[in-house]
This record gives sequence, structure tokens and C-alpha cells, in this order.
Amino acid sequence: MLYHIVFLLLFMLGLHTVLIKKSLIKIVIGLNLMEAAVFFWVIAVNYRGGIIPILTVSNEIKDVVNPLPQALILTGIVIGASTTAFLLTLVIEINKYAKIIDLDLLKGLRD
Amino acid sequence: MTKDKIVLSVLLVLFALILFSLSAFPLQEIFPGSTAEHIIKSAVEETASLNLVTAILYDYRAFDSLGESTVIFSAVSAIVLILSFKQLPVSSKGLSFIVKRTFALLTPFIFLFGLYIITHGHLSPGGGFQGGVILGSISIIFCIIYGSAFDYEKYSPQTKTLLETGGALLFVFMGLLGLFTGGYFLRNVNPLFGELGSIISAGSIPFINIGIGFKVGAGLAIIFYSMIQKTYREE
Repeated sequence: MLYHIVFLLLFMLGLHTVLIKKSLIKIVIGLNLMEAAVFFWVIAVNYRGGIIPILTVSNEIKDVVNPLPQALILTGIVIGASTTAFLLTLVIEINKYAKIIDLDLLKGLRD
Repeated sequence: MTKDKIVLSVLLVLFALILFSLSAFPLQEIFPGSTAEHIIKSAVEETASLNLVTAILYDYRAFDSLGESTVIFSAVSAIVLILSFKQLPVSSKGLSFIVKRTFALLTPFIFLFGLYIITHGHLSPGGGFQGGVILGSISIIFCIIYGSAFDYEKYSPQTKTLLETGGALLFVFMGLLGLFTGGYFLRNVNPLFGELGSIISAGSIPFINIGIGFKVGAGLAIIFYSMIQKTYREE
């Protein structure tokens, strides 16, 4: 139950940041918070006790944690890093042309 | 009622609703006959890789990992396209002499650690992605400590692009090798070659790890370099 609460707190904090904050950098940070929350939740829900999923040659221990979510979250982390880098690049470009990263001020620059 | 309060109350209602629906969500067991059970039971025999996560990433789901590295590749391409390399780097002269000498002594060990993480990906925690990030961090620390002009001279963006493309090509080459040795694309070529648990084992997994490692490290270094060359511009 605790991990549901922590996941939701982190997720809602990220969503709140995305919806409320004006700075584009803070919005990217909020998206990252939401990502981290989902990663944490998937790992925590699938944890069932056991050692890390690296077997040894001598004694084959079969009581390991589920390796599938770890592999999937590894994929997710890489995709998240790529999208974050791309979003930050867009922020750099916006700042270069408009000299502002404030969302409200950017709305006035439409024409 | 301001916008902040509306958003906050909507989020609180959402919080309560999702928490209520999640509270019936039990911890996942590994059911007999499930994919997880099959992987835990027979991954070592099938892929000769002791690290099960690596076995999943580079054998069972290697095609997915290829797509994942394509995502990094397209992100790097888009970033280089948007922040083009036309401006030569004009950056700070770096930090003090003590920091420079200390990092010069540390660099070989960081490099060795990154290589260790990559090449032992099928035996110990880690793998291509994690070791590649360590290798990429060397170039990033170079930019900070010695200034980006030094980094440009020693490891130019062209070298990094070459490394990144080489890593991606190594991955695809290992995939085609599986195709030509009478199997399917990204088949693990002869996984029981070498002794189980030694560094020469697990067939094509270590080579794919090396390719991914150089690709991710060079990609991260290119991203960092493209971003700082315009933000830290001192005339």
C-alpha cells in the first residue's frame, strides 16, 4: 500500500508541476518526475522478495526477483533520457529566438 | 477561485480515485508457466548469460533493444540538426590546475571501470547502457574541467559520431550474423561457446554490449556538447 501512495504522490507532484508552473525547464522536470514515479511503481509492484536476477554458476538459486520489469524499465529510462534531451534542446532553441522560457509570455508571441 | 486551486482540487480527487482503484492491486507473483518463470528456469541454458536482465535485453528482446538504440540515434540526430555544429566552441579555460591534474590521474580508472561494466554485462550488474553512460561522462567532465575547446581538439564531434555509428553498425552486424548462420535476425550465435561464467561466453551478447556501450556513450557526449556550445559562449 505504501508504494501506491508514494507513486501517486510523486506522480501528482509531477502533474501539478506540468500544469501549474510557467517555466519550460520546470515543465520538463515535472515530466521527469512523472516518469520516475511510473518506473518506481512498476518495479515496486513486481517485487516479491528474492535476490537480484544474476545467477551464479556453483549454486543455482532460483529464488530471484522477476527480471522482466527490470529489463522493461531499463528501456523506459533510455527512452526517457532521449526525450528529455530533445525537450531541453527545444527549450534552448526557444530561448535563443525569443529570449524567454516563460509559457505565459510565449503565448503573446504568436504573431 | 484561481487556476491553481482548481488544478489542485482536481489532482486531489484524481489521487483519491487512483489510490482507491490501485488498492486492489496485489504484489505480483511469478506464476508457473509464465514468461518470467520460463526465463528464470531456462535462460542460463538458452543464452549462457548469468545476468538475466542482459539475457532478456540482448537475446529474448534484442530486436526491442535495437529499436531502443534507434530512439537514441534519432534523438541525437535531431539535436545535432537543431543545434548545428557550425559555431566553433568558445568556452571557459576550465578549472584550476589541481582539478585538472587530479582528473588526468583519474581518467584511466574511470575508463577502465566503464569498460569493465560493459564487457562484464552478462556476468555482473550493468551492461552496455550503464557502462556507456560512464564512458560518456568522461567526455562531459572533460568539457567542464578543461573547457570545451580542449574537448573539441581531443575528441571532436566527428570522432564521437564515428563511434556512435560504429556501435550501431556492430549491433546490426551481430544481428545479420545470426541471420547468416542459419537462424533468424539477432539470433544468439552459438551461446554455449566458451565456459559458462567466464568472460568469453554468452555468444553474441558481449559484442552487442560493446556496440551499445560505445553508441550510448558517444551519443550522450554529442548531446552534451551540442547543448553547451551555445549556452556557454564567451567572446
